[in-house]
Amino acid sequence: MNPTEKTQAIRERLTAVLSPYRLQIEDQSHLHAGHNPAAQHGGTHYAVTIVSDQFAGKRSIERHRMVYDALGSLMNSIHALAITAKTPDEP
Amino acid sequence: MSDVQETIRQQIASHPVVLYMKGTPQFPMCGFSATVVHILDLCGVKDYLAVNVLEDESIRQGIKEYSNWPTIPQLYINGEFIGGCDITRELYQSGELQKLLQEAGVVAN
Repeated sequence: MNPTEKTQAIRERLTAVLSPYRLQIEDQSHLHAGHNPAAQHGGTHYAVTIVSDQFAGKRSIERHRMVYDALGSLMNSIHALAITAKTPDEP
Repeated sequence: MSDVQETIRQQIASHPVVLYMKGTPQFPMCGFSATVVHILDLCGVKDYLAVNVLEDESIRQGIKEYSNWPTIPQLYINGEFIGGCDITRELYQSGELQKLLQEAGVVAN
């Protein structure tokens, strides 16, 4: 799976499971290429901002788990994932 | 329970604060691990168990299974899994982390 396909796969899984209002996926691998040669070509380090009703009443740790669970086996090939998970009511 | 899981369980049970990280607090090998070290410093935590997962592949995999959490760093306070870098930062900014550390008796009130 190349980086473009992986970003698309992340988008598909999160969309299918969490029905987000807003979903931003940023491949930040280039920022880490200095200390991690595998990051040179992208597809290893991601930042995800996701807004979903399903996070209502859940603590951060539960929200992050929901994101990890939605990604499932994809997480095996992702080195780092920064997550911002909010409900539509939260700033 | 496998030996690795038992080792992890004992580490977490016998130290009020445990950080599984890449590298050491003096020489973190990953920006996310470095951030959590920095936050613990800012909170005034002097003494905690830092486990360098790069030195032990079985711990590196085992800790992910222990917490059912796929990434490192992982912070534990009083036996409870707190989170990784993002959540630790959020809890620090909201003041909740300081409260947890006070309850654990590792920083002054």
